[in-house]
Amino acid sequence: MKISFPYMGTTIVYKKLLEMLGHEVIMPPKPSQKTINLGVKYSPEFACFPLKVIMGSYLEAVEQGAEVLITSGGHGPCRAGYYEQVHRRILAEEGYQVDFLVFNSMFKDFKTFKENMLKVKGKSSWLKVAHVLGLIYYMTKKLDALEKQVQKIRPYEVKKGDTTKVWEKIQVLFDPASTKKEMDRAFQQGQELLDGILQMTVPEERKIRIGIVGEIYVVMESSINMKMEELLGNLGAEVERAQYLSQWIEYNAIPKSINFTHEMEILKKGEPYIPINIGGHAKQTVGHIVDYAERGFDGVIHLMPFGCLPELVSQSIVPKISEEMGIPVLTLSIDEQTGTANSLTRVEAFLDLIRGKRAKKIS
Amino acid sequence: MKVGIPQSLLYSYYYPLWKTYFEALGIEVVATPTTTKEIMDLGVKNSVPELCVPIKVYIGHVLKLEEMEVDYIYVPRFVSISKGQYFCPKFMGLPDMIRYSFPDIVDKLIIPTIEAQDENIAHYKNFRIFEEIFKITPKENRAALRKAEGVWLTFRSHCLKGYTAMEAMDLSFGEIMEEKFEAIEEGVTIGLVGYVYNVYDPFISMDIVKKIRSMGVGVKTFEMLEENEINRQLKYLQKNLFWTFSDKILASGYSFYNDEDVDGLIHFTAFGCGPDSMLGKLLEMESPSFRKPFMTIRVDEHSGENHLQTRIEAFVDMLRRKKQKSRRGA
Repeated sequence: MKISFPYMGTTIVYKKLLEMLGHEVIMPPKPSQKTINLGVKYSPEFACFPLKVIMGSYLEAVEQGAEVLITSGGHGPCRAGYYEQVHRRILAEEGYQVDFLVFNSMFKDFKTFKENMLKVKGKSSWLKVAHVLGLIYYMTKKLDALEKQVQKIRPYEVKKGDTTKVWEKIQVLFDPASTKKEMDRAFQQGQELLDGILQMTVPEERKIRIGIVGEIYVVMESSINMKMEELLGNLGAEVERAQYLSQWIEYNAIPKSINFTHEMEILKKGEPYIPINIGGHAKQTVGHIVDYAERGFDGVIHLMPFGCLPELVSQSIVPKISEEMGIPVLTLSIDEQTGTANSLTRVEAFLDLIRGKRAKKIS
Repeated sequence: MKVGIPQSLLYSYYYPLWKTYFEALGIEVVATPTTTKEIMDLGVKNSVPELCVPIKVYIGHVLKLEEMEVDYIYVPRFVSISKGQYFCPKFMGLPDMIRYSFPDIVDKLIIPTIEAQDENIAHYKNFRIFEEIFKITPKENRAALRKAEGVWLTFRSHCLKGYTAMEAMDLSFGEIMEEKFEAIEEGVTIGLVGYVYNVYDPFISMDIVKKIRSMGVGVKTFEMLEENEINRQLKYLQKNLFWTFSDKILASGYSFYNDEDVDGLIHFTAFGCGPDSMLGKLLEMESPSFRKPFMTIRVDEHSGENHLQTRIEAFVDMLRRKKQKSRRGA
């Protein structure tokens, strides 16, 4: 069966996973203006932005012949848990015959999870599935390790755009790798490429570090968040994202009681502000801001889709955290009305503010 | 001692319970007046712009209570009133938004977590917090709660008879007497799909129920439906919405589609309402297959009353003509 999936972050990982299990993968195109237009046209007007972009991605994938769409589910209270239902209905309305494979948390509903796994498994043995999953996790970790370096090197590159080019090359390098050895080699080559980038030397005290927090889709998918990481990098700031794919896997694949990942610590840091899980990534957002402040970051950019329910709660609390922890936070809400120039100005002003604050502290 | 309750959000659904409960404990209950321009502006000025109108209005009411010099402000955190379902994230985080935005009133806030298996929230654990605050014994607390539960159940039974939530509230307090509804035989009936806090807030909804009724048109809303009926409608869904009240109003939508007495549906929603953005679309897509007209009215803090009037009139005219035509055809 021809499988496709929503486009988010380093998609090569999902592609690899499905290919290794012997499926034909229809790679959805990177979200473009066309994708967004398509999505906006068919989605409910007031739905959140990720729903619209994913709708567009699905339509493009189905156009290319996808028969099955794989996605994650959820049980609320955030709207994302209901995406697939709406997408399904809209696709049916438009006359497309597609199946959905929805992965809900395996700890809540193991039966459906198993059924879905059986479908994804296809003819491969369970042993192979386990092996593939292990490999994919390994690859995700390697890719994330390189990406974290990319985000640190970008602000100091001598020739603008070098790092981004290298990062794209690295993703291509990983594409053919199918064994641990090949992945290691790809990692090695990637590392060498990164080391080869000419960098300016900037004294430690003049380095600026910015954290990006918020809703996972707009944080991870650069094509819809105005390439925020690149933008910040080009303006001379090191970047760290609150979400990386490998962290997401770790957090979701381990039962709560024995989960000691970084994510759990973050949730604990968010507790005083939002005591219960209110869905989405609101609690993580709040926790990450506290975490970044404690780790001495200079500022935080908070990204959210327009009208995102949980993030609106965190947005309301952000001024208080910012005041208590002494860290500047800029909230940008994102939707199909991309006023790039406006956001660019705001980010520039934000960085100016941070530099100004820094200069005052030194003098 | 005075406890303040904002006349907003779930006020129209649970005020009979709250009022009876506090008064049984000998505590004075102060509710804010119905929403006014002033309260709305207070809320709009003090909240994040992207929030939906009902939440902004609620914040306005909370700030109004501060002016009214109450000792406590009751801001319950609604988490879940049915198994596996939640409230909208904004409801669940509402107390946090308030306590971190307005440091002056933090000491006055009472924030109990409301969790129940069904919509009857009169459970001891939801109200236990008051024993310490008001220095009452568990026995007194339970007795007050039982009394409150009784009043609330009467309120719900009035709703099921076809009274709107506000009428049922007055009935349950014994402020007005039951009266016979004028049977609407020739006329049309509209199924009004919308949350209590939008439909019954006269400022947000501009009294839509009254407007529709004054045209000689009958109105049905979700709280007039039996719980069984709601559950029956939900069975057709592949996966239900995980927000309790959204689920209820979605079910009411399906019920109205299936109800022969209902001629058309109006979905009354607020700008920026997340759950409604999904369920509105679902209901809209069903409209052609049931051959029933469906209209969405979306309001926000700047809604003009005339436009609402015109749209409802046009919708009612259309329904009437449709009905006449089908009668003539038959």
